[in-house]
Order: sequence, then structure tokens, then C-alpha cells
Amino acid sequence: MILTTKDLGYTYQNGETINFPNVALDVGKKVLIVGYSGSGKTTLLNLIAGALKVQQGEITLAEKNYSSLSSGQLDKIRADNIGYIFQTLNLIPFLSVMENIELGVRFSKNRRSNVSDLTQEIVRLLTSLGLSKKVLDTPVNRLSIGQQQRVAVARALLGQPALVLADEPTSALDKESAKNFLNELSTTFDTSKQALLMVSHDLSLAPYFDQVIDITNKNV
Amino acid sequence: MFKLLIKSVCSRLLPVSLVIITLMASMVLLLSIERIQKATEIGFNQSISGVDAIIGPRSSSLELVLYTVFHLGRPTNNITMKTIDDIKQRKDIEYLVPIALGDSHQGFRVIATEQDYFKYIKYSSGKSLYFSDGQAFNEISDAVIGADVAKKLNYQVGTKIHISHGSSQTVSKKHDDFSFEVTGVLEKTGTPIDQAVFVDLKGYELIHLGWQSGTKIFNLKQLDLSTLSQEELTPKTVTAAFVGLKSKLTLFRFAANVKKYPNEAISAVIPGIALSELWSMVGIVDQGFELLSWIIIVISLIAMVSLIISSIDNRKREMTIYRANGATPMYLSTLVVLEAVFIGLTAIIGAIVFVTLVTYLATEQLNLILGITPEFDWVSWNEAKVFAIILLAGILSSLVPAIIVFKKNLHHTLS
Repeated sequence: MILTTKDLGYTYQNGETINFPNVALDVGKKVLIVGYSGSGKTTLLNLIAGALKVQQGEITLAEKNYSSLSSGQLDKIRADNIGYIFQTLNLIPFLSVMENIELGVRFSKNRRSNVSDLTQEIVRLLTSLGLSKKVLDTPVNRLSIGQQQRVAVARALLGQPALVLADEPTSALDKESAKNFLNELSTTFDTSKQALLMVSHDLSLAPYFDQVIDITNKNV
Repeated sequence: MFKLLIKSVCSRLLPVSLVIITLMASMVLLLSIERIQKATEIGFNQSISGVDAIIGPRSSSLELVLYTVFHLGRPTNNITMKTIDDIKQRKDIEYLVPIALGDSHQGFRVIATEQDYFKYIKYSSGKSLYFSDGQAFNEISDAVIGADVAKKLNYQVGTKIHISHGSSQTVSKKHDDFSFEVTGVLEKTGTPIDQAVFVDLKGYELIHLGWQSGTKIFNLKQLDLSTLSQEELTPKTVTAAFVGLKSKLTLFRFAANVKKYPNEAISAVIPGIALSELWSMVGIVDQGFELLSWIIIVISLIAMVSLIISSIDNRKREMTIYRANGATPMYLSTLVVLEAVFIGLTAIIGAIVFVTLVTYLATEQLNLILGITPEFDWVSWNEAKVFAIILLAGILSSLVPAIIVFKKNLHHTLS
């Protein structure tokens, strides 16, 4: 298993507590976590990403239990194993497409070592996501929202991190674009090495995933 | 990291440039003060050389040096020629050159003296005075001008000039009944000599024949100058006299003896001592300016830290993306400190280039306006130390925003 969570719970500053369903994610699997707005989807993602401290329960990523790791080690685990696709907070506007994607391997030697020719790999990812290599040197703020989302996906996939986390990446896209985006993501995603965990409020995306977890009812 | 830093700075070009310009301006001020101080100090020490003592009426030694060497202020009293002749008889004296001050020409001081002035008075550790054109005066109507006078008034050998009574340039105070002819132009010295007009003491006495208590009584044209005897043209009083001794060892004894001269209240001032006294007074003003520059630098550093702190909030998105992609808090803090180093270094380099170019391009103007000649020097050891302190202060103050970044949890920025 790449990722397992067990009896995870989180208490917010206002005293509200959420208990999350257990998640077990293996190589090649794509899991969708659904729930209404405010149900704790992003909190779960932040706990898995190591952005929030685990208060209750356990998270194990790449055989490392978070509770036994220092914050520095947690940073390294995140850099080596997690590719993050944000909902809206996507790209750095003053960097080019190439430079933004490169950030995916900049802070991890392990992920960088998985890429022999950086430019070639970035072009491959962009092409499989439906973007031309002509955009490589374009500042990202000149791209459309859909194109920016693809660049963000390329960055998250570069260096083949074991786990790709996606926080409602289709929320800014219309239905057709969201469909295309998920098709491209499925094509680009390396089923032999990677796992995908995506959160969304849109249950209609379910056909694209191997497993759907309803965070509200803890149903699988 | 440096590439990211440059790109990030470029994305905030206007606010960062303003901070760099503010910091640079304060460093230009500090550097200018340092260089002007250095040039002034060198100029001070080079103003006169080869003179062991200056004899003048008993007053403040500083005052005497100011009006005899720097041509500043007005002499309050004169000494009689008889006193000068008495002192000249002393066996320990190698030379004695009397000078009379009080008149001016187009704002430049007139120094009435003898030919020996050009032989014995030196500048800048023993450099002799040379003529770029012409020669010293031979006749009572001859005049020698300093390099700046020649350049500013476009005078040359042969030019006829009138001098004004006192420092005023009004027509009514002009000695317009007698003209001097320029016979020599001195080479540039970088000292107050460049801004002086030299005339013969006898000529000086002649133009004052028709004057009493600052008022013209009769016109020299009414006189037949050829009938005037040498005695009539010998000045009765002079302002001061430059003295060279045969042996430096007798200097303090000479000064003490002059003070004891029974017939007139006079004193002998040792220029070196008076100059260092004067410099220590000027230094206080200089220290005030230096303090002011440091205050400006501190304010600029505060502005820099404020910019970085406020930009952290604006850069929330940038920082979050770095963190989410695996950048450690230490990496981001280092990025913040490096930004301060970048701003500080750019301001320092800018200030050095600016001041050095101004020094190089405006040396002549600075010399004409302020009478100083700053040395063309990229950066001195002292200045390097000052810049190191500023850079260190910049780095230390950037630790505040760096710690803020370090303490910021990823979830604070993600949410």
C-alpha cells in the first residue's frame, strides 16, 4: 500500500470534530473522495499532505508513519512522494510553463532522479495532456484556465511521485472540459507506479475512479 | 534558488526598486561625506608646505591660518614692517615672505607679496609653484594669477585687471585709477593658491596711496608716479609673514621668542598644529553629517524589512506552491534573507558606481565649487567596512520576516 489512514480525526479550533473514513490506496488506484462543502475533504487532504498535524489516528505513506516523523522528515516525504494539484492556487505567475512544471522536482532529489531528460519529460507530459511544446517558455498567466490546470497536473506528475493529491481540480471547468481533463489525467497517470486521491463535491466524476468514498457517510 | 529569487524580485520590480533607490541614496550620502571629508583633509594638509611658521598679530592661531592659508575671513589687525624687518634679522631664519591681504578681484582674494613667495611657498608635501604661462612679477604693475582665476575669468598673460578695495566688488570701491597686467599664470595646485591674485607689495602700497580709512581721497592719475620714491612705495604694515627656518629643531624656541617680541603684540603659529586644530573642529560637523547618514540608512533598512514583510502576505501563493512542492521552511527563510542581501548588494554597488562616476566626471566642478579634489577610487578599505556593516545589518533585520516565514505552517497558507 502506498497510503493508509486509520481512525483519522480532526478537531477544529471551534471545537467541531470530524472523524474520517479509513483510506487504503495501492499503486495504480484512483480514489475519489466526495462530500458536501465543509465536510472536511480539504482537511483530509491537508492531513495526508502533512500540512496539518495528525491529532487522532494514523497516516502511513510509503511505509512511513507520520507520527514518527519530524517536520523536516515530513517535508522530505511530501517532496519525494506527493504531487499536489490545487483547486485554484495553481501556478506562479512570473514563471514560465517550463519553470512552473520544473518546481515538481526542484525540491526532491528522488523525484529528480526519476527524470533523465527534464525538458523531454516535460514535453511528453504536456503533449499527453493536450498542450503543445510551444507553450514551454510562455508565462503561465498568458494561458487559459484550462491550460493552466493542465500545467499544474504536469507539475504534480513530473518525477512520478507515488501519490497524486488533487483538490477539486475540475471545479473551475465546465462539464465538457472537466471530462476531457479527467480523460487526459487518466492517460498520463502512470498506473504502474502511482496512485491518485482526488476530492470533489461532484459525484458525477465517479466513473473515472476505481473507488469512491463518501466522507459524509463514511461509505465506500 | 538565485533564479527563483531574481524572477520573484522582477515580478515586484517597482516596490523593490524604490527600496533599492532609497537605500542607495542614503549610501551615496554616506559615501559622499566620507570622500569629501577625505579630500578636504588631504586638501587641508596640502594647502601649505615648506612654511615652518606664520607670523601675525597676536590673535587666535586658527584665525591667522584661516585668512593667510585658506583666504577665509578678514584680518583684524596688521603688523608693522619694522617688526617684520627685525625678525628678518634673526640668524635662525632661512626666509621670510610678508603678505598683505584685504583687497579682491572679481571675488578672488588679492595677495600682495614679494617675488620670494613663488620661490619658497610650496604645497602638497614640498611641491614648488610652477608657472603654466609667463613668470613672476618684476614691476609694481605686474600680477600673477592662480589657475582657477585664469580659467574662470578667461585671463591670460597680458590681461589688464583692476582690483577692488576690500572684498566688495562694487564699482565705487574699485582701484580703477591703476591697472595691473597679468605676467604669469600658476599651474593648478588644488589649493587656495589657485583662487588668488598675486601682486607686488609695492604695487599694493601704491594703489592705497590715495585712500584713507577705506575711502578714496585722491586719484592716482593726479600724481606723477615716476616721482614717487622707493620709500614711499614700501608698505608700512603687512597682514602676516610666512617664515622658513634653517633648522626645524629651533621651531618651538622661535615661536616662543616671537611671542616675547617687545615692540608689538605678535605671535608665530605653527601651521601643522593649527591645521590639525582646525581639522578637529571641522571633524565635529563632519561627524554630525555622518550620524545623519547612518540614521537615513537605518530608516532605509526599516523600509526594506517593511517591504519584505508586506510582500510575504502578497507572496502567500508563491510560498504555498513552493512548500506544497517540497520546499522546506528553511529554504523559504533563506530565500527571504537572500532577497535582503540582493537588495543591499544592489544598493551598495549602485552607490559605489554612482559616487565614483560623479567623482570622475565632476572632479573639476567640485574643485572649482568646493576647492577640493576627491581621489578617483572605487572603494577604500574603510568604505568596504562600512558597507559590510550595512549588509550585515540588512541580513540581521531580514531575519524578522525570515522567522515569520519559517513559522508559517503550510496549512495556514493552503486554507
